[in-house]
Amino acid sequence: MSKRPVMPSSLERGVSGMAQFIRVREVGLIAILVIVSVMAAITLPAFRNGVNVRELLNNAAVVAVVAIGESLVLMSRQIDLSVGAILGLAAFITGSLISQVNVLGGVGVVLVAILLPLVIGVVLGFVNGLLISFARMPAIIATLATLSIYSGLQVLVSGGSQVYAYQVPAWLNQLYTSTWLGVGSFVWIGAAWVLLFSFIMRMLRWGRDLYAMGSNPEAARYMAIPTRRRTIEAFMVCGALAGFGGLLYISQYGNVDATAGAGFELTVIAAAVVGGVSLFGGSGSPLGAALGSVLLLEIENVLALLKISIFAQQTLQGVAIILAVALYAVLMRRLQQPASRARNQPDIDTQRRVKTEVQQ
Amino acid sequence: MSILLRRPTGREPRPSTRHDDNAESLLTTFLRRIMRWEIGLCLLIVIVTIGSSTASSNFLSPFNLETMALNATVLGFLALGVAPVIMTGDIDLSVASILALSGVVMAVLWQHGTNIWLAALIAIVLGAALGLVNGLVVVMFELPSLAVTLGSMSTYTGIAFLVLQGNAIINFPAPLVQLGSGGLFGSDFPIATLVLLLFASILAFILHLTGFGKAVFAIGGNRQAARFSGVPVARTRILVYVIAGVFSALAAIFYLGNFDTAQANMAADQLLPAITAVILGGVSAYGGSGTIPGVVLALILLQVLETGLGVAGLSGQEQTISVGVLLIIAISGGAAINAARNRSRRREQRADIARADAEEVTQATSSIGSEQQAHEQGQ
Repeated sequence: MSKRPVMPSSLERGVSGMAQFIRVREVGLIAILVIVSVMAAITLPAFRNGVNVRELLNNAAVVAVVAIGESLVLMSRQIDLSVGAILGLAAFITGSLISQVNVLGGVGVVLVAILLPLVIGVVLGFVNGLLISFARMPAIIATLATLSIYSGLQVLVSGGSQVYAYQVPAWLNQLYTSTWLGVGSFVWIGAAWVLLFSFIMRMLRWGRDLYAMGSNPEAARYMAIPTRRRTIEAFMVCGALAGFGGLLYISQYGNVDATAGAGFELTVIAAAVVGGVSLFGGSGSPLGAALGSVLLLEIENVLALLKISIFAQQTLQGVAIILAVALYAVLMRRLQQPASRARNQPDIDTQRRVKTEVQQ
Repeated sequence: MSILLRRPTGREPRPSTRHDDNAESLLTTFLRRIMRWEIGLCLLIVIVTIGSSTASSNFLSPFNLETMALNATVLGFLALGVAPVIMTGDIDLSVASILALSGVVMAVLWQHGTNIWLAALIAIVLGAALGLVNGLVVVMFELPSLAVTLGSMSTYTGIAFLVLQGNAIINFPAPLVQLGSGGLFGSDFPIATLVLLLFASILAFILHLTGFGKAVFAIGGNRQAARFSGVPVARTRILVYVIAGVFSALAAIFYLGNFDTAQANMAADQLLPAITAVILGGVSAYGGSGTIPGVVLALILLQVLETGLGVAGLSGQEQTISVGVLLIIAISGGAAINAARNRSRRREQRADIARADAEEVTQATSSIGSEQQAHEQGQ
């Protein structure tokens, strides 16, 4: 490999891991999460209920896994509207196959169940990436088109049939309720994905490339980053995570029908936005996207427990998205202002000097 | 409709070819002129229509044509409304929700004794106000339009649900139903289609022949440059959202008239088809180019295709897939044609430069030759 400049990662700068790992945004998010949780726990006995907490965290984990993939795409200044359809298609194909094929025995089925949704996701994501990188379609249009294609395929494949909970292998059904060290297995799975992608995005060249492409696509190309390849790879990873979300979906609901995953893309994008992933690319983190998923679903949960109509919940969620985006924008501008002021200072001084000289 | 035939302001001026005497370049000029997006759409419409009418003799029957025209009305207003927003390089995901909220408010007002036309007027004002809110939030706080309108989409739909509480209002007065689904003077030509075409013409006039339209395309092309050249960027961007709101409210009026029912989730599935129609109509998703006649043609194509696929016995889902595939083929095909066109233009320019260089060289050599002659003569 030829040498080329790399976006400085924390490894090279020698900054201690933790401080760099959790930055201002995530700390703020965690603070808000803690405040909301404590307030809800004090005022709402139903919120403290163990079942409620488990349900909330499990739901959040499914959203978070897909939101991590979406955040990678968003960070590289693209968007994927087809994640809901990928999730649904992967869930249906996997669900109906493992309910029918049982030839390979126990371990074989587990392997197929885990690998198949990932492979389906990678293939569908690869198609997205090809359309965007090589057919030069804008991401929003390409994935809008594949959204209708994939969800159409889902209905065609299902042919009106459903996958029922009794057809799903027992271990997959039990995954949803099983715990390890008192914490639900969904939470462990979500945390594992967060850790893996936090490492990739912060420490590896691949992750830094995505940030660079998101901050300034032109500059990224001049830095000899293979932008087309990275775009395709980002969409493949996003698809894989959406496919994995499909596996979790089977485990969560048992039943999979032709409309599974419809509209999920908007929840996922909302979660990423609440988690501080910029739609303009270049900033955000997998941890932020995951925390955003938890916060979004926690607000929904609290509103439901307050017996607020489900329709008002939708309104408040919409307002929350706008507020979150506005808040991040204001914060970003605050952070950037001193720098720009310092940069402008000499100009003003020169102007003054010129003025005084003219007056003299 | 002569205004539709004039060159829209959104297109870059075509470079004049300098050597018209050359037969080959005449051919390329002709091809260039004919390979416009709108011509392609017309060809596709003709092909699909011929195919469908050979498959079924009922395809071109007055009844079927009327049904197709009526089906396209609501989608048409939504697509026309969102088109100017996309032309400025933004997006509005809330148009279907504005339709739902203003339609629900209109229905509830009518149910409580308001005159239906007054209610319709209030719905249009409400649509404008909802669009204004979108525009103000996006422009004043400099936020990404995608996130803001994603938020306002669920906000507006939620409010619509709160207003109607999951109920439906039906049986609207006859004049509204006549407007939404009736024919002109008792004929088969739907009034709704005429109104849609009228509004499309007005929008085409505004976007392609006025200063406001120039501003829209300038902002879509390069917002920074537009600001530096004195284009009122903030005002134009906000106004574009107001237009989207007004057209969504108009879509609501025709929705109530055509389907004779108001529900909080009405037309929620029309958002993506509306954006599809705009993009298929040749409007760049990055903003800065596109035409309203193109969007109208795309609407016709989508409707003809949908009905044609239905005639051919394809299910609704297969139709959805086909529309998705058509979108991909159209956009990537258009990009490929554009790239080829740019390449040939560049080659032509290079040839021009080479020819000019060659002329210069011959002139220079001849002048050198004459100088030499003069020199020799002088000796």
